[in-house]
Amino acid sequence: MTERDARSPQSPLRGSAGREPSRAGVASRLDLAALIAGPDNGGLRLVSGDGTVTWTGMRMAIAETGLPTVRVGAVAILMSPPPTASWQQDALIRRVSDKGYSVLALPETALLTESALRLAARLGLAVVHVDSPVQLALTCWQLEEGRDALTLSYVRKVAQSIKYRATSLLDLLRHLSSSVGHGLALVDPFGALIEVGGTLPPEVHAAIDFSTWLDIVSLPAGGAASVEVHSGRDNLRIAFFGPRLSPAQLAALGVAAEVAMPAVAARFLIDEVNDVSDTAISSGLLRDFLEQHGNPDPDLEQRMLDRGWRMSGHHLAFRCVGRGRVDNLHLLTLVVRELANHPVESHATTSGRGITGWLTFPGPPSPASVEAHVAALRALHTAVRRSANIATGLGTVEVGGSGLATSVARAVEACRLAANRSSTGWFVRTDTLGIEQLMLSWASSDTFIPMARSLLAPLVDAGPDLLSTLAAYLDHESAIAATAQELGLHRNTVTARIARAQDLLALDLDDPETRIAVHLACRVLRAANAAE
Amino acid sequence: MPTILEVADVPALARGYELLGSGGGGTTSIYELNARTSTQWPRPVFAVDELDPATPVVAIGMAGSAFLLTERIPGEAPFADLISAAHRWTGTPPGAVCSIEAAGVNGLAGLSLAPELSFVDADLMGRALPRMDQFSVFVDRLPGLVIACGSGAGGVVVMETSRPEDVEQVMRTAVVAAGGVSGVLAAGFCVADLAEHAVVGTNMRALELGRAFLRHRDASWATLAEQLGGVLLGSGQVRQIEQDASDPLSSTIEIDGDDGCVCRIVARSESLAFMKDGVVVAASPEVIVMVEQVSRRILQVDELSRLADVAVISLAGPAWWSQRPHRIARVRPSAYGLDGLDPVAVPPASPSRIAEDPDD
Repeated sequence: MTERDARSPQSPLRGSAGREPSRAGVASRLDLAALIAGPDNGGLRLVSGDGTVTWTGMRMAIAETGLPTVRVGAVAILMSPPPTASWQQDALIRRVSDKGYSVLALPETALLTESALRLAARLGLAVVHVDSPVQLALTCWQLEEGRDALTLSYVRKVAQSIKYRATSLLDLLRHLSSSVGHGLALVDPFGALIEVGGTLPPEVHAAIDFSTWLDIVSLPAGGAASVEVHSGRDNLRIAFFGPRLSPAQLAALGVAAEVAMPAVAARFLIDEVNDVSDTAISSGLLRDFLEQHGNPDPDLEQRMLDRGWRMSGHHLAFRCVGRGRVDNLHLLTLVVRELANHPVESHATTSGRGITGWLTFPGPPSPASVEAHVAALRALHTAVRRSANIATGLGTVEVGGSGLATSVARAVEACRLAANRSSTGWFVRTDTLGIEQLMLSWASSDTFIPMARSLLAPLVDAGPDLLSTLAAYLDHESAIAATAQELGLHRNTVTARIARAQDLLALDLDDPETRIAVHLACRVLRAANAAE
Repeated sequence: MPTILEVADVPALARGYELLGSGGGGTTSIYELNARTSTQWPRPVFAVDELDPATPVVAIGMAGSAFLLTERIPGEAPFADLISAAHRWTGTPPGAVCSIEAAGVNGLAGLSLAPELSFVDADLMGRALPRMDQFSVFVDRLPGLVIACGSGAGGVVVMETSRPEDVEQVMRTAVVAAGGVSGVLAAGFCVADLAEHAVVGTNMRALELGRAFLRHRDASWATLAEQLGGVLLGSGQVRQIEQDASDPLSSTIEIDGDDGCVCRIVARSESLAFMKDGVVVAASPEVIVMVEQVSRRILQVDELSRLADVAVISLAGPAWWSQRPHRIARVRPSAYGLDGLDPVAVPPASPSRIAEDPDD
């Protein structure tokens, strides 16, 4: 049989409360009451419905058939009077309401029957009489444009800041912030990486949604409008923030952030590229310097001076090397970040498989201040170890260019030792009084290792246990009990093994010189085996 | 085997015809009283396939003011003049009779007005409709149709045409000349034509509807609607009845729905459309019936009054009208000059017959 109209009447009481505004759209709603109260509204008069309803835009047509469907409540302005038949009026109101409008303005509303107005009220459609629809349309348009004025002014300011040629990301952010007049921060999920023009409150940062393009936060502690930064790094956002920001301001700042983001992303990437190439240059510079054994030719010296690496003064070098796979650039970033906490002139660059850096003092540092600096470097080591598995070695305080080279060389050696030195947390400082360290580094030459191997060969041939037991015994200054405890063996086992080792080596371990030589050989061999 | 209708079936038949009146067609109460004492019961009713297809058929009924019909009851054999006039014109005597309109007053009238002829369960409308140009045989433009109408004082007007517009114009004049109500007869077709060009089975449908109505008359509206095989469109109090400013024959009845909805019935002599919250939910040829809350009377459009509590139920319209576009164009609200009330989509024509649209 005949088809019934497929639409069923929607639920009643679908007023403006039923239309959910988008988060960013809250600020852009306009007030019908203001429109009615304002001038030049074409003789506007509320006929039925809620005069406080809000609207987001205006559409005008000669008749209802010309009206487009809208997503959020808008004002429909019709130029024709309503139809005469009451059921045609019903149908008009229903269709305007179904198309998404919250207000219907039309002339000659006296023709509307009481029941048509009741239907309008039931559907949540406010009906207003207008003498001049064209005048009303003009006024609505002006109100919509006015709402955008704040956004326009922010966008203009952002555009002017971008014109300025920034020297760094920080420089750019400072300009944007002072131009727009609000705080600006570069944030990731863990906090603000850079913030200028104020401090981003932690509660506001915690409320930022990192999964959306544009996010608005409004809390008693403050508000923020943030956008994703397309920089190749995940979860990076820029946020304009401030205390007591109105919804209109936040919406406008959101647009400003959208406009500023590409400039920030570009600056971010430029800075990253610059950092990488700059690191390559400085790394090469250090290599050249070390090759010239601390006596640079004038050209090299000039290049170093250009970089701020001065020869004069006292230097304390350090070296950090990864104990596993570590990205050198990432490591350099971590080291530089920690060095910034220490108020002394410092430099660092990538070198080989790790980072080489040094502190420079204008005059000879007192022993107390040296200890303070060493402690600071130890703190640096500990801090970096939270993010990367490194070993750190410190050189000695030396003077001048050649002194710098020396200190670096010692730091390298110390770092090599530190790689296995779990007892000190993989941190070793060169101690001029540590003869054993010096002897050991001196002994780790290409000639000594083969000698050590051949010396201890009988032990190695007999099995791995003898060498390790002897090494531990010598480490523990010939204490059987301590050796047994460290190795988890019975005292008798240790005694037997030491006796056997002496037999195999045909050496008298009670002789101090022999003892030192064997001890040294054990240590070197162990280090050499570990390095293989 | 024909179905035998007994006098005991009259109340159910009357209710069924009133339902199919869709708010029009006249109240049947006088005819019910008359029918109970008349002598034509039991009346056999033949299905279309129970008679020789070549049997010539005449369709009979009353035309004119339904109000006048209830005042002036026609005699027992008023159609003799019309039948003999048609016989003279066509040359063949009729062998069977059916109603022009198996609804309203004409439903019961059709069963009693030519008792000597076999009654076929078919009619030319399927529900109450206001005009003679809506007879199904004219809508399908059968050739050789003859229509006869009493013009008063024993006079008869006979017309042969296939153009529906002419029928309405000429025969209306005759009805007016007859005093506002007169007998009408259509001839020139046979039982075989009824199967395709008339609405079949309306009388039995009326009987079933009437029986269901009587059984569940005092049940809840939802139950009553369900038992009638229809849809409860709404219920509530009549708030206002307005004559349409531009069309004096049209009226709009506004009902305050019990569920808060704003409901409207748009009607002329029958109810033509039902609107709920600005959306058309039922429209002619669907049958739209109003039933009064307390008395459970089936109301005519002009019996509705302010503050009455009513329910509005829709029943499926005769399928015959929906089977071809040229047919439904005659009975939609737009056929009465009412814009914007037609149902949104017209269902595709049933593929059971190959007959083409005679208007092409």
